[in-house]
Amino acid sequence: MTEGQPGAWPPPARGGDLAGLLARVARGDQAAFATVYDGVAAQVFGLVSRVVRDPAQSEEVTQEVMLDVWRTASRFDPHRGSALAWLMTLAHRRAVDRVRSGQAAAARELRMAAAETGYDVVVEEVESRLEAQRVRRCLDSLTELQRESVTLAYYGGYTYREVASLLGVAVGTVKTRMRDGLIRLRDCLGPDQ
Amino acid sequence: MRLRREVPHTLAGAYALDALTEPDRMRFERHLAGCDACRQEASSLREAAGRLAAATAAPPPQRVREQVLAEAARTRQRPPLTADGPASSSAGRRAVRLRAPRMAVAIVGGCMLVALVLGGLFIDTQHRLSQEQAHNRAIVAVLNAPDAVMTSARAATGGTATVVMSHHDHALVLTTARLPALPSGKRYQVWLMGRHRVRAAGMLPQPRQGMTAPVIVSAVASGDAVGLTVEPASGSRSPSSAPTLMVVLPS
Repeated sequence: MTEGQPGAWPPPARGGDLAGLLARVARGDQAAFATVYDGVAAQVFGLVSRVVRDPAQSEEVTQEVMLDVWRTASRFDPHRGSALAWLMTLAHRRAVDRVRSGQAAAARELRMAAAETGYDVVVEEVESRLEAQRVRRCLDSLTELQRESVTLAYYGGYTYREVASLLGVAVGTVKTRMRDGLIRLRDCLGPDQ
Repeated sequence: MRLRREVPHTLAGAYALDALTEPDRMRFERHLAGCDACRQEASSLREAAGRLAAATAAPPPQRVREQVLAEAARTRQRPPLTADGPASSSAGRRAVRLRAPRMAVAIVGGCMLVALVLGGLFIDTQHRLSQEQAHNRAIVAVLNAPDAVMTSARAATGGTATVVMSHHDHALVLTTARLPALPSGKRYQVWLMGRHRVRAAGMLPQPRQGMTAPVIVSAVASGDAVGLTVEPASGSRSPSSAPTLMVVLPS
């Protein structure tokens, strides 16, 4: 397998290419599905692992996500957003569902009690990669509260009410920071590719 | 816990981050259905959030690929959603679509978690945070160590202990859930049990809602196991009873 090696970054299937592949997957093309898998598996698994943490469960959730892609490729609508965002939304929701379902309760308790953002860790993991560096630079451009709100929710899988509790700020403040943090992130990152 | 009196629009960020509880999310999606500008904003924020995933890429084991492809080959695909019945052409794909409500399980899970958070376990932790920041930082360091592995064990008497261990840091973090309650004057004591010696590693804190706050144990040697025994509240110098529970550490 070559898709997971560091040299395979960025993955081959992105942007318009990925959308075209999904259209073929929707028609039952298994070879296209394998190509999609190879293109996005590392991103899906990496994100799921970041949120879920337990390796065995992360594998399970990754499988669920990829099967979701297979089953629901026909529901992807290129007019509503990019293929990658659609796919990562599936992945993130599955991961978040898993941590909120209590199946990962033990690990989650540990993290809740620890009450700190995974931001630094995320940053360490990403150092060597180009897109990742861009993400880091853009995360750095956020205010501390914006950054913590965004990363606790996205990488930590917390709800905004939990994030408010973690950070000791009002729920309304967190909502606003998540929104303006993401807006700033969006503007900083610019269009993909 | 209601959105009603709030301005729903400000939830676009939390929505894009999947940081809404299930009931909140369903209400927000109803709001989105009637607001073009909001849908557009939510979609652009989704794109930004999705980019965050690029920062954590890590390849899954090869077996996942094999399982996924094999499973796909025997899984029926969903038809596209169309405005006018079954799909006849890809043009139908732009039709209005509604997300099927998530399973009740997810809702219950989300609510339980919120209840847990509001139940004081965590709020209390937070109040003590300033004094315990160093302690927490040490815990976070273990949890986030690149080589951190998690393992748990069940006690014959009921309850579980979960350990996250970093060999590199020679440290572990221990938490327990639903261990049997002890009579007053008794506490659970933590031991590092090596092949040649047993070392006291502190007392478990009093449980809150059945769970104990994480305890950090350092100077863990390879081949150690973690044991819990019932001891006088002041602690013992060596275990005075058979362990209630043993966690064999991953090597």
